[in-house]
Amino acid sequence: MNDSDVIDRAAGLAPGDPLHTARRFRAKVVEATQASHDALLMQPVPGLSPADRLRVAVHACEAAGATDLAGHYAELLASDASRSAAASPALSEMLRFAARLTTDPRLSDRAAITALKGAGLDDAAIVALAQLVAFLSYQLRVVAGLKALHAGRGGRR
Amino acid sequence: MSDAAAPAPAPAPIRRNGFTNETLEWRSWLQPLEPEKASPLQFEVLDESHPQARTSAYYLTLAHQPLMLRHRSAAYNAIMYAPGGLPRAERELGAMVVSVTNGCVYCTSVHAQRFAQLAKRQDTVEQVFDDPASAGTTERERAIARFAIAVTTRPQALVADDIEPLRGVGMNDEEIIDLLHAVAIFGWANRLMHNLGEPAPAT
Repeated sequence: MNDSDVIDRAAGLAPGDPLHTARRFRAKVVEATQASHDALLMQPVPGLSPADRLRVAVHACEAAGATDLAGHYAELLASDASRSAAASPALSEMLRFAARLTTDPRLSDRAAITALKGAGLDDAAIVALAQLVAFLSYQLRVVAGLKALHAGRGGRR
Repeated sequence: MSDAAAPAPAPAPIRRNGFTNETLEWRSWLQPLEPEKASPLQFEVLDESHPQARTSAYYLTLAHQPLMLRHRSAAYNAIMYAPGGLPRAERELGAMVVSVTNGCVYCTSVHAQRFAQLAKRQDTVEQVFDDPASAGTTERERAIARFAIAVTTRPQALVADDIEPLRGVGMNDEEIIDLLHAVAIFGWANRLMHNLGEPAPAT
């Protein structure tokens, strides 16, 4: 596995870097992480277009201060075919949910789920949205940790 | 007392700061998939995810999006259960510290039990419930707990100095990445468990 995935690129790891190789000690984790990213963004979900999911991802990463990943999702959004269609009327509620859940999971509660339902999302769309936002919290922590590891080995930040 | 046949008394449950190591149930705020309406793909993914997933409100809720659940479960199971690398008890310690930090009572109960099963002791469980920042029976456990809190609460401020204590207790790159994965995936797991439903006493 000499290719680079989203996490390698965001963390600044190139094939041949010791940490790029060390990540592949857990090849299943690397594969499942990238496959999660792809499924969470692209699996068809009625009421949740890929472009709206990318808008949520940009917003969540910005709320967390993860500028590297925010840039990645903004790039995907710029080339997404569904971006020119009107955004969902529930988008502002989705963004609010995403920012709160990303910043601190203790802030969110049942009322946050009720608000998404009130904005028109069904249960299957809420599961997809929550999975995406929760995944981003994982992804941005893996990237941040790898950057700190890389810096400690004398790599550039 | 030398009667080997007498069952050992069950240790008293640990209950502190709203956390417990007792077995809890979980109630979904969404409508979990009804098993009789599950598709073959949904059954397949439930079985890949967890041995009891077909009767778990949590997995039946996530099964509304089977392909998203499939890849999440593949990542989770590889991170928490794969052999080699960081000892599994230490991955569970990371999971427990993150769950307490994120206020996920249900996840905390599960991973407090797993840690005790794997480590064959539970002194560290009480310490984590009391104060994760100072928890740890050994220097290595304290380094793991502090790293787990740093990754959870200030990921963008992580620097090489946050890694140094892990090197100091003998971890190599692969083990540090194992710990990072375990801690990070509880940023994912807690946000689902704690935000799509709530714990309830076991019936």
